[in-house]
Amino acid sequence: MLEIKPIFNALLRSKVGAVLLLIQIAITTAIVSNAAFIIKDRLDYLNQPTGYEEENIFKFNVMTFGTDLDLIQQVELDEASIRALPGVVDAVQISAIPLSGGGSSTGFRLKPVPEKSKSINASYFETDEHGLNTLGVELIAGRNFNQDEVILNRDYSQFPKVALATKALLDELFPDEEGLGKVIYMGDQPLKIVGVIGMMKGPWLKLEERKDRSVILPMVDPGKLHQFLVRTEPGQRAHVMKQIEALMHDNYAKRVIQDLTGLDEKKADYVAEDRLMMRMLVVLISVLVLVTALGIFGLTLFNINKRTKQIGTRRALGARKSTIIQYFVVENGIICIAGLILGVCGAVLLGQQLMTHYSVPLLSNWYIATTALLVFAMSILAVIGPARRAANIAPSIATRTI
Amino acid sequence: MLKMNNISKMYQTEMVQTHALRDFNLHVEEGEFIAVTGPSGSGKTTFLNIAGMLEPFTGGDYLLDGIDVGKLNDNQRADLRNQKIGFIFQGFNLIPDLNLYENVEVPLRYRGIKAAERKRRIEQCLEQVGLASRAKHLPQQLSGGQQQRVAIARALAGDPRFLLADEPTGNLDSLMARQVMELLEQINRDGATIIMVTHDAELARRAPRNIQVVDGQLADFTLYQGNPNVAVGA
Amino acid sequence: MFSHYIDLGWRSFKRTPLVSLLMVLAIAVGIGITMTSLSVYHMMSMDPIPDKSDKLFAVQLQTIDEGQTWWSPDNLPYQLTYKDTESLLKSDLPYKRAALMATGFSVHLNSDKVKPFLEETRVTSRDAFSMFNLPFIHGDVWSQEQEDSAAPVTVISSSLSKKLFGSENGVGQTLYLDDLSVQVVGVIKDWQLHVKYYDLNNGSFNEPEQIFIPFSLIKAHEINTWGNTNGWKHEPVKVFNDKLQSEKFWLQFWVELNNETEKRAFEGYLANYIAEEKKTGRFTREQAEYKLRDVNEWISYWEVVNEDNKIMVALSFMFLAVCLANILGLLLAKFLRRAPEVGVRRALGASKRQVFFQHIVEVGMLGLFGGVIGIIVAQLGLFGIRQSLSYYDSLANMDISMLMTAPIIAILACIIAGLYPAWVVCNTTPATYLKTQ
Repeated sequence: MLEIKPIFNALLRSKVGAVLLLIQIAITTAIVSNAAFIIKDRLDYLNQPTGYEEENIFKFNVMTFGTDLDLIQQVELDEASIRALPGVVDAVQISAIPLSGGGSSTGFRLKPVPEKSKSINASYFETDEHGLNTLGVELIAGRNFNQDEVILNRDYSQFPKVALATKALLDELFPDEEGLGKVIYMGDQPLKIVGVIGMMKGPWLKLEERKDRSVILPMVDPGKLHQFLVRTEPGQRAHVMKQIEALMHDNYAKRVIQDLTGLDEKKADYVAEDRLMMRMLVVLISVLVLVTALGIFGLTLFNINKRTKQIGTRRALGARKSTIIQYFVVENGIICIAGLILGVCGAVLLGQQLMTHYSVPLLSNWYIATTALLVFAMSILAVIGPARRAANIAPSIATRTI
Repeated sequence: MLKMNNISKMYQTEMVQTHALRDFNLHVEEGEFIAVTGPSGSGKTTFLNIAGMLEPFTGGDYLLDGIDVGKLNDNQRADLRNQKIGFIFQGFNLIPDLNLYENVEVPLRYRGIKAAERKRRIEQCLEQVGLASRAKHLPQQLSGGQQQRVAIARALAGDPRFLLADEPTGNLDSLMARQVMELLEQINRDGATIIMVTHDAELARRAPRNIQVVDGQLADFTLYQGNPNVAVGA
Repeated sequence: MFSHYIDLGWRSFKRTPLVSLLMVLAIAVGIGITMTSLSVYHMMSMDPIPDKSDKLFAVQLQTIDEGQTWWSPDNLPYQLTYKDTESLLKSDLPYKRAALMATGFSVHLNSDKVKPFLEETRVTSRDAFSMFNLPFIHGDVWSQEQEDSAAPVTVISSSLSKKLFGSENGVGQTLYLDDLSVQVVGVIKDWQLHVKYYDLNNGSFNEPEQIFIPFSLIKAHEINTWGNTNGWKHEPVKVFNDKLQSEKFWLQFWVELNNETEKRAFEGYLANYIAEEKKTGRFTREQAEYKLRDVNEWISYWEVVNEDNKIMVALSFMFLAVCLANILGLLLAKFLRRAPEVGVRRALGASKRQVFFQHIVEVGMLGLFGGVIGIIVAQLGLFGIRQSLSYYDSLANMDISMLMTAPIIAILACIIAGLYPAWVVCNTTPATYLKTQ
């Protein structure tokens, strides 16, 4: 029924057109499957749960240049005045801002330094008893620390005795036991775990190994430059943010309020490069698919123009319109499948190259398969128009001499 | 002047060999006007293409003005064609994008003639075929006869010694055909050697020498010598 | 003949405007996307100080204990301890040296004239200005005495001078860094850099600082770093002096060495320094390890060109290849349709070479048009990038070399795509097309 052999022979004779189409389909498949995979990878990264109500939290920096004050007292006063603002859920001075790309991390150990011990790197936040509520992360076991456990640090003579830690960290430190109630060490300082937090990302999203490991220490240690975190009622954030600078300057004038930013914006800044990469890839593959579709369309038109007379003759000899359409669709299908085979190999190779040289995970075969199917469908769609046009060539063409 | 000795031309396909010309011998003297006739597919056009160096031949010798064409490379053949040969085609083959002036200019450009000299020659040739006033027209704005006259002007522009014409009147009505023929005769009188392939027996008879190509071989006719009314078979 | 070919190419363009436009657009999109990623790549990898990038060296010392590892590619710490920085700076050597640290202050005039603002500040030593090519517009760098005595002096950029004092010449004026009053001794031209090569710890593409203060102020006024402090062993740091005496890394160090001899001499000095320190119980490794890297080595060591960008460049060149395959097909169609005309030209005396060149010139023109439109596409792309990332403002740009490169790549690419079609059309037997038309 299908005349594959003659089509194949015809293809072998008009090599160049077929080869061009094949190359385009192959490269398109290789690029699109890899790019789509990277896009998906970034999308997962950008949309990962963080444990925070990012749209209701904001932060700001305070840089104090006046010297006629007690910083810790001032922080307490500032916190109280912010918490008193309508629409504010809670506010706190904190040593690092989650999802911002800047913070501290250290190794948490089972035994104090200098003993040899298992040590797991985790990010840590220093704040007071309002920290947990301001961050809005879920406490899944134990309790928050009390006000009397918070160390107000003036001379480094004291160190916290208790801490909150995420389940992710405790599971790694104590794979077979319950982490709650255990003592871990930060350097040579013991910390008793009084509460276990569910999901809570640290300042970094990229460093795969420490992003879910966070510790909250009950300690207030503001430098000249310190940061505040504020959580508001839904919808109140913008309104609250507007009042901050004036309020802070009313409290104390000789300081600069800076980087008053929502946590979602902080995160957006932090992931901006990844978002950019994703957008660029989306643009690239959209244009690429369009160009390839146009290429198939154009080459089929060219083939048809070249064979106008031949098609007319076939029609004159009794070929149905459907046979002509079938001819071109099958011809295109053969090229496309050959191109796809090459493209799948190319995609796998490119994926391996990207994985070896860059931090891209191994390309999943599903992406190659899906891309191949889509490219195939697209190529069939692109050929149908010109093929119908070919089918409409009048048989009388054959009888004209020109 | 033009000497073909045992020229052969073979087309090779996967299955068969076809001889378009074989043992083709022809001597043409300076100033001759030769009409080539013969049935369809006999090899007339192949002969003309080989004479004009548009196609290579597979065997024999071809001397043009004493130059062994078989030994030339493509560039040398192109130069020789440009300098010695003018073509006139049945389909006129004017380049549709170029106006008459520019069409006539084409061979002169390939010869690398300076712009001022080109202008002089083009105007002279268009004058000769009576189309000087239409220099800026495009080919499709002219009638068939006019187009063929432009094609003749283009063939003449390079001042060729040989004029090869393939059915020059084939697409023209008889009145125009006669005008074109008269133009060719005039050119012949001015000194150019003309070889003209034609189907038209009446036109062929107007040529002083007739040759016939049959099955790729030459059958030379008698010279009519200015007596167009007597046809003598070989 | 060339101008004639250009004329013919233009006529051919006009004869099939749609196909020609399609080809130009294909090349424009291909070039546009390629140039977008290539421009960013070019800016990121560009030599920031070409006239002396091979003379400035970042110094690294291996001070961490045997068995301890660091996250750098060769296990060497990126920064130095305060102890080592101070020793290298104060040693009696004939080479220009600069110790560096990032910090920041509330900048104000202790009056209501200027609203206090936060400003990043670079702590450094005198030689830095001549080493990093920072020309003074007014005044000069602080003196050696001022540096030695930790005098409260500063050098600021001309735009900061304008912002604070309303004039470019702020020399002699006083400003406040937090509660420290400092006197302006010099004003430099604004430091323009694409890559902040001298301190890559906190973002490679951040703006350089506009305030510079003497290195000796760190100790005198307990100035803390705004950059990274990294440790490799547990050290209790309770007061500022603990940090100065610690093995923590938080400072950068550069040296200017003008030739191989100087470089070897300085390396000799480093080896000797390590041997001396070893006697005090530091540098416990068997093998003394140190490294001098020049500016470009330093930039690639830090992998400043991020890998996303490399992937984009690779992918966009593949994309360009697809566009070229497309153009090749269209050119083939277009040229073959013109075979009869070529037959006529050949009959009239055109050689294969002339026909070939005529067509190559034509595709070259398509490339030129495509390249020019491609620049517009690339500008759009770069605009989009600048919108997404503020610190790409100086990176997502085409400099002159990239503007020139675009049409050159476009023309070359088109000519490569056009070689085969032009070859095909100049090799068709002219006779085939002369009989019928």
